[in-house]
Amino acid sequence: MKKYSTKMILKACAFSIAALSTSAPSVLADETCQSPYMAKITGQEDFVYVWTLGMEGLGDEQDKLVTVGANPNRADFGKVINTLSVGGRNEAHHSGFTDDRKYLWAGGLDTNKIFIFDVHTDPAKPKLTKVITDFVSKSGGVVGPHTTYALPGRMMITGLSNNKDHGGRTALVEYSNKGDYIATNWTPTDSNLGGAAKTGKYADGYGYDVRVLPRRNAMFTSSFTGWTNYMMDFGKMLADPEAMKHFGNTVVQWDLHARQPKKVFDVPGAPLEIRCAWGANHNYCFTTTALTSKIWLIYEDSQGHWQTKEVADIGDPSKIPLPVDISIQSDDNMLWVNTFMDGMTRAFDISDPFNPKQVFEQKIGSQVNMVSSSWDGKRLYYSSSLLANWDKKGKDNEQYLKLFSWDGKKLTEQFSIDFIKEKLGRAHQMRFGAYSLYASK
Amino acid sequence: MKIILSFLIAGAIYSSGLRADSAILAPGYSPLAFEAPKAGSYALSVIGQAANGSVLTVEGREVQLFDLMSDKVVLLSFIYSTCSDVNGCPLATAVFHKINSRLQKDPEIAKKIRLLTLSFNPEHDTPEAMNHYAEGFRNSIVDWQFLTTRSEKQLRPILDKYQQSIQKVYDKQGQFTGTFSHILRVYLIDTKRQLRNIYSVSFLHADTLINDIKTLLNEVENVRVQKNQKINNELVFQAGDNKQQYQKKDYQTKAIAVTDRIGRPADLLGNIQNPQTGLPYISVPKNNPISAEKIALGRKLFYDRRLSLNNTFSCAMCHIPEQGFSSNEMATAVGIEGRSVRRNSPTIYNIAYAELLFHDGRESTLEQQVWAPLLAHNEMGNPSVGYVVDKIKSLPDYQGLFEQSFAAQPNMLNIGQAIASYERGLNSADSPFDRWHFGMQQGAVPAAVKKGYQLFTGKAGCSSCHTIDSNYALFSDNRLHNTGIGYRESMGIPASTQKVQIAPGVFVDVDMKDLASVSEPKISDLGRYEITQNPQDRWKYKTPTLRNISLTAPYMHNGSLSTLADVLMFYNQGGVKNEGLDPLIKPLHLSKKEISDVVDFLKSLTGSNVNRLVSDAYSAPIGDHN
Repeated sequence: MKKYSTKMILKACAFSIAALSTSAPSVLADETCQSPYMAKITGQEDFVYVWTLGMEGLGDEQDKLVTVGANPNRADFGKVINTLSVGGRNEAHHSGFTDDRKYLWAGGLDTNKIFIFDVHTDPAKPKLTKVITDFVSKSGGVVGPHTTYALPGRMMITGLSNNKDHGGRTALVEYSNKGDYIATNWTPTDSNLGGAAKTGKYADGYGYDVRVLPRRNAMFTSSFTGWTNYMMDFGKMLADPEAMKHFGNTVVQWDLHARQPKKVFDVPGAPLEIRCAWGANHNYCFTTTALTSKIWLIYEDSQGHWQTKEVADIGDPSKIPLPVDISIQSDDNMLWVNTFMDGMTRAFDISDPFNPKQVFEQKIGSQVNMVSSSWDGKRLYYSSSLLANWDKKGKDNEQYLKLFSWDGKKLTEQFSIDFIKEKLGRAHQMRFGAYSLYASK
Repeated sequence: MKIILSFLIAGAIYSSGLRADSAILAPGYSPLAFEAPKAGSYALSVIGQAANGSVLTVEGREVQLFDLMSDKVVLLSFIYSTCSDVNGCPLATAVFHKINSRLQKDPEIAKKIRLLTLSFNPEHDTPEAMNHYAEGFRNSIVDWQFLTTRSEKQLRPILDKYQQSIQKVYDKQGQFTGTFSHILRVYLIDTKRQLRNIYSVSFLHADTLINDIKTLLNEVENVRVQKNQKINNELVFQAGDNKQQYQKKDYQTKAIAVTDRIGRPADLLGNIQNPQTGLPYISVPKNNPISAEKIALGRKLFYDRRLSLNNTFSCAMCHIPEQGFSSNEMATAVGIEGRSVRRNSPTIYNIAYAELLFHDGRESTLEQQVWAPLLAHNEMGNPSVGYVVDKIKSLPDYQGLFEQSFAAQPNMLNIGQAIASYERGLNSADSPFDRWHFGMQQGAVPAAVKKGYQLFTGKAGCSSCHTIDSNYALFSDNRLHNTGIGYRESMGIPASTQKVQIAPGVFVDVDMKDLASVSEPKISDLGRYEITQNPQDRWKYKTPTLRNISLTAPYMHNGSLSTLADVLMFYNQGGVKNEGLDPLIKPLHLSKKEISDVVDFLKSLTGSNVNRLVSDAYSAPIGDHN
C-alpha cells in the first residue's frame, strides 16, 4: 500500500476517548459529526466519497459512489478519480463508516438496499463487497435505511418508514459489521411507548437521525416523514394538506445501553440532523427543524434530566428556508446550518448553546444540502441534492460538489465539480477517506 | 508496563507518563457516570456466532477457543502485553481485573463466567510472557485465562473472524516499532457461543459488563415477559397514524405501534356468497369461479411488494386496509420511485359491484384492471407482463399455489383472476344505516341520520347519482358526471400563494414561485374525455360508492376535499360552473344543520365487518425481498 506524508493520525487505541475528552484537537467538524467510535482523519483528507443519486436521462442513470481527489498536493485534487455504479436508483442518501473505518455503508431510502463498500484495501478505488437486500424483511417491516451510525462492532441504522402504509412510523435497526441483522427497536408510539414518558402531546413513532452520548448513556433520535412524502414531488407534497400532516414532531431520548426509549419530546416541524457537543461537560446536542426553521437544544438540566428547548430561528421561518444539514465544530463554538431553498450556508455562534447567534451567511448555489467539514474546520465541502424528487427543477437543479476554505471570516471556493456536466447525477452525502488511515508500511 | 497497569488498577486518575492525547482516562477507570440499566431489565440481541481458533495457554498447551466457551459466559479481549496506551489494552485488563475483584464477593456468578485475554502479538507474547503478564490477576474464584497463539499465521484467522482490526506501527525507516494501532474491543459470548455484546473504549465498564453478564444468566425469565404482551384493542384496525385535528394547536397524537398490526384471516368466501345486509348478490365471471384458494392466493399477491420493478410496491401500498383500502395520507397517489399519479387512490371496498373501474371508467372487469397498475410506469413500474409472470414463477413461496388454484402455472390471466377474487371478498355493509333502512331496526341510527337520509334522497338530491334501491344500496349509478371539480383544476387560475401547514396548528403562505421551483409540471386530467375523445366527456368522473366513506378521506377524484363537510359545501354551492356541468349539480341551499345531518348520514354507512376485513388483511404476509 502506498504511503503519503500527511499529518493524519490514526488514534488507534485512544480515538474513542475523543468523545470524552477536552484534550481532543481543538477544532473538529464533520469528522466528529460521525460516530465517536471510529478512527478520525486529523489532517488533510485525500478523498471525498460522494454518495450520488442516479438521474433519469443523465449518464448511466443509476446511483454511484463517486470518489473525488481532495488533497491539494496531489494532481487529482478536485477531480473525479473513480465512480462505482451500483445499479438502480435507490434514493441514495446517507452513508457512514463502520467503527474500524474499513467499510462505508450507504443506504437507499427507496429500495431499502444498503451498499457496503470496502474503502480500506484501496482508498482511491472503493469496492462494493456486499449489498444488504433483506433490510425490510429482517427488520420486521422497516423501510428507508437512513443514518448508518457506527457502534462497537455494529451499525445502528435509522429507518424512516414502514412497509405497511409507507408512513412515518418506524424503528432503529441494528446490523453487525458483517452485515447480519441483529435487532429492531421501534420508536415509541401512543399505543406502545416502550416504557418511555410522553412529555408533551406527541408520540408519533417517526424517525430520522441518531446520535449518542455514551458518557451519559444517552441516544437521541429525531423524526422526519415516511416514504410517501420523502419520495413525493416536493411541490406536489407542499400543496397537499393531507401529506403535510405527516411529518415528525418528536425527539426521543433512549437508554443507549439498554436500547430502551426514556422520553419523547415535542419538537414540532420535522427535526432532522442531530449533532452533539464534544466538551467533557457539554451534555447537549442540537437539532434543526426542517419545516419550522428552528434550532433546538437537547440538554441535560442541573437535575440530570434531559430537556428540549427552541433556541433560535434560522432565516425567516415564514418563508420555509428549509434547514437541512448541520455541522458542529469540536470546540462547540460554531454550528454550520444549510438552508435548501435559498441555497445558503449560515454559521451560528453557539458558545452559549441557549442563545445561538448567526454570525455569517453565504449563498453556495441555487440549492444546497450537505456540509462536511475537515477535522480542523478549515475546509468545508458542500453538495447539492436533498432528495431526488425534492430537488429544484429546471435550471435551478444545480448538482455539485464544492470545496471552500474557511479562514474564520470568509469562505473561498477552492474547486467545484458540476455533477450534471460530468454525467454523474445528484450529489448527496460526503465522507472523507485517507491513505494514512490504513497505511501500515 | 507493569508499573502503569498497577498504577491504574489502584484507581489513580492521571499519569504523567501517559501520552498527551490519552490524558483523559476512559470511563472504565472511574465510577460509572450514570446509573447502569438494571440487569435483566433489557435484552441483549444475538450479534452473531463466536469464532473458533487454536490458541496457547500460559502452560503452552494448544486448545480451541470453543473449548473455553459453552460451559460459561465468556468475556474475550484482544490485547498485547506491551501496549502503552492507557485507554487501549490496559483498559481491558483493568476492567477485567475489576470484574474479577467484584465477583470475589459473588461466587455464584463468578463460577459461571470466564475471562479470556488473548494476545495479538505472538512474537513477543509467548506463553511465558503471558504467564508473567497474568501475575497478580489470577485467583481461585474467577476463571481468567491468558492466551496467545503460536504464530501470526495462527492468529490471523481469529482476528479476521472477530473483525479485530490490528495494524503494526512502523517508523519512518519502515521498522516495526513494537506497537500496534488497534480498535479496542471486548466480546461478550453466551453459552451457545453467540456474540451478545461488543464493547469499545467508551463502553467498557465493569458495572455495565457485570449487569450484561447477569442479564444473560437470567435470560430465560426475561424473554417470557416480552412475549406475554397481547393486543386486544379495536383501535388497531383504524389508521395507525391518524392526523385528525392536526390543524389545531392542541393536536395530540394517537399513534398506534406498527407492531400492534396483528390480525387473523376472515371468511371472505362466505362474504362473497352471503353478502351483508344492504348489498345485492355478487356476480362472479363464469371463467373465474370463486374459491377459497384463489382468494388466499389473491390476497398474498395483493400484499406482495415484490410485484413491482424494485420490490417496493404492492397493491396495498395505495389501497391501505386500515385507511379504508385507500390512502388517507395524500390527495393524489405516488407510485414507484415517488412518481406522481394524477388521481386519488379509490377505495376497493365493494369493488365487486363496480361496473366501471378507475375514476374515468376505462376498465370493465377486475381481472383486466389488475394489470394497469402493475404495468404503469408511475405505479408499480413493471416493464412487461412476462416480467411479472416470470418473477412470480421464480419466487419460492409461490411454488404450487397457482397450480392448486388454477391447475396451471402463473400467467397473465390467472394472476388477474386471483387478485380479482380477493378484491371481490372485500364487500362491506350491514352498517347502522342498513340495519335501520333494510333491517327495520328503528334504534340502529339516531334522528340526525334519519334526517340526513331524508335530505340525501330529497332536497340535497344526492341519491340521484349515489343510488339507493329498494332491497340494497350501492350508492353509485355506475355512471360518470362533471361536477366542475376537474374543470376547476384544469382551467382555474391558481392563487399567488399556497397555504402550507408546517406543524400542528402552524401554517405559512408560500409564494407560488417558490413552490414552482420544486414542482414538476402538473399533468392535465381531462377525465372521461381521455377515453372517449368526446368533448362532452371533459372532466367527467365515475360516481364513487359512499359505503365506508368516512374511512376514505380525502375526497373526490383528485383528493382535493379533506372532509365530508367540505364535500357537502362544494355541492351546496352547486359545484363549479362550466359548460359541461352535470344538470343534476346545482345550488342546494342546505343550512349548516342540514349539512351536518347529511354528514351524519354518510358516517352511518360504515360496514359492520370493517374490522374483520382489516384484521384479515393484517394476517396476510407482506412480500418483501429476502
